[in-house]
Amino acid sequence: MAQFWYYVFTLVFFLFDYFILAMGLNIQYGETGVMNFAYIGFVAIGSYVTGAVSLPNSVGTGQQYIFGWNIPFPFNLIMGGIAAMLLAVVVAFIALRRLRTDYLAMVLFALSFVLYDIINNYPRLFNGADGLYNVAEPMTGVFHMSTNSFVIFFSLVTAAISLILWAVMSRITRSPLGRTFRAIRDDADVASALGKGVFRYQLTSMLIGSFFAGIGGGLIIQFGGSFNPSAWLPGETFVVFAVIIVGGVGNNVGLLVGALLVETLLIHLPAFLPDIPGRPGLIEYFSAMVIGIVLMAMLWFRPQGMLPERVRKFPAPAGELLNRDGHSVVAPTPVEAVATTNSAAQVADAHEGNDA
Amino acid sequence: MMTYKDLSTTPAGSEGPILRCEGLTKAFGGVNAVNGATFDVPRNKITALIGPNGAGKTTVVNILSGAMKSDSGTVHLGSTDVTNMDRAKIARLGLMRTFQLSRELGGLSVLENLLVAPKVQAGESIFNIFFRPRLVKREERQNIERATEILRTYGLYDLRDNWARELSGGQKKLLEISRGVMASPSVFLLDEPMAGVNPALIERIGGYILDMKAQGVTVLMIEHNLNVVERICDNVIVLAEGKTLATGKLSELRQNKEVVTAYLGEVINASTGH
Ligand SMILES: Nc1ncnc2c1ncn2[C@@H]1O[C@H](COP(=O)(O)OP(=O)(O)OP(=O)(O)O)[C@@H](O)[C@H]1O
Ligand SMILES: [Mg+2]
Repeated sequence: MAQFWYYVFTLVFFLFDYFILAMGLNIQYGETGVMNFAYIGFVAIGSYVTGAVSLPNSVGTGQQYIFGWNIPFPFNLIMGGIAAMLLAVVVAFIALRRLRTDYLAMVLFALSFVLYDIINNYPRLFNGADGLYNVAEPMTGVFHMSTNSFVIFFSLVTAAISLILWAVMSRITRSPLGRTFRAIRDDADVASALGKGVFRYQLTSMLIGSFFAGIGGGLIIQFGGSFNPSAWLPGETFVVFAVIIVGGVGNNVGLLVGALLVETLLIHLPAFLPDIPGRPGLIEYFSAMVIGIVLMAMLWFRPQGMLPERVRKFPAPAGELLNRDGHSVVAPTPVEAVATTNSAAQVADAHEGNDA
Repeated sequence: MMTYKDLSTTPAGSEGPILRCEGLTKAFGGVNAVNGATFDVPRNKITALIGPNGAGKTTVVNILSGAMKSDSGTVHLGSTDVTNMDRAKIARLGLMRTFQLSRELGGLSVLENLLVAPKVQAGESIFNIFFRPRLVKREERQNIERATEILRTYGLYDLRDNWARELSGGQKKLLEISRGVMASPSVFLLDEPMAGVNPALIERIGGYILDMKAQGVTVLMIEHNLNVVERICDNVIVLAEGKTLATGKLSELRQNKEVVTAYLGEVINASTGH
């Protein structure tokens, strides 16, 4: 029975963790149009740094890593988020400044391999191919929890954090800043013709999204106690893309639905199924295939996602008279109608003026 | 009648031509799209930029608005040298432009297309969003009020909550012009604002452009319809093969042999059937 709840709350954890990751990628890609194909690299940096700053000094631990500052939760988590933002600054100045969407996507994808190789091959950073382990479960000391109750506790902590971040993100996407992001996504030339410094806003969006990536990554190492290169193969980026494409690009609630469908039901649930006798790993391969098929089906039949982006409506200014359909009572005739007499008269006036 | 606020924020001083370009050139591979164009755009007037297809009109607008770098030559906005300046900066100095093929922000609503236009908004800063929400809200309310007013004038009000990508061609033209107006430009460059719209709408757009002038905006418009040019434009600049062929009133230009051969000839012949 305890085992069952352990599984359930592990699923709950990954649901909300991927909700956070999806929000971070969504502000970059869904709102601002930056195809961050290196996204999983930001998650990894967040995870490693969260772990490495919370571990004790590495001497005598049998691991090699930088930091080792004994920083407690949640401050280590915040440092993980900030580390991912620093990576975003570097990436933005290398790639974002000069490259347009498709090239940018390729360069970022290449960058995630570079990052992967560096971390994998320089053990002095984050213990190389072995990755970090023995990262203490936060707050177990305070509450004297068993592993099972920790899983329940921490998945609920993660859910709470994701809801706070969701509130923060909604506030951003509903603001004029979010609108400017979407203007850049739709047509960066038009946005800059309207005076928007495109790079500045793309950088802002990268920073926000990277912070979310870092937090999401940090929660993973706090939940499981370890993190190593097998957890962030460059292709993992596309799982997060799948979450936001299935859920609905540009819709924060849709992202939770996407996380439920892709991450929880297609990836983690099958991982708990017992192996088919004689065919170890078959279920895992199968679930990867199903994700691919689901993604293609979504793009084919419902490219806007389960919960599409919704048009943002604004309350009419005070004093407005609306009829039952929400149309203004005093609104002039629609576009293709006859010329307003006023303007037509002015054109005629000007005509005479020119003749004179 | 709508009001245009903030029009006095011109960086351009108040004397002399508001826009001056000299010796602009731009080549694409072997094509000299712009080849020494030199002209002034007089303040608070409506000026037409005419010329045959491929004369380099759009390229000139691209250079003036900073969307393209010129190979040589200078552009001044008032007393400010804006040659090859970053285009967002030029826009913030008060120069707006529309595109020959209208470019709406399709994933925004019609109203949002206008709301995005004001050049500097408090709500575009993270700090303000979280720590000065009242300021953001107040500014947003003012912008909504003004956008609503403009949409009403442009007959787009009932479409305010529609996706901009769902508008018709003519409606997109109107949206693009009204979006520029929302940005309170001191100079507004219009690339064929009347192309592909029905005669009634041509009348209306003509009216809007005259309204802009009445509110102190300087307009430079590319236009092939000489009837429209004759009726609303104060001055005409003729561009041919990337050079300024002539400038003046249309009636004067009709007497200019060179102009008639290069451009007007075709039009006159076409319209009289010879
Ligand atoms: N981005 C570009 N790349 C290559 N050539 C270009 C580009 N833009 C314009 N040209 C060329 O430059 C010349 C001038 O083009 P431009 O669009 O400025 O003409 P225009 O006067 O606006 O014509 P139209 O009245 O047909 O709109 C044309 O020969 C065109 O083919
Ligand atoms: Mg053109």
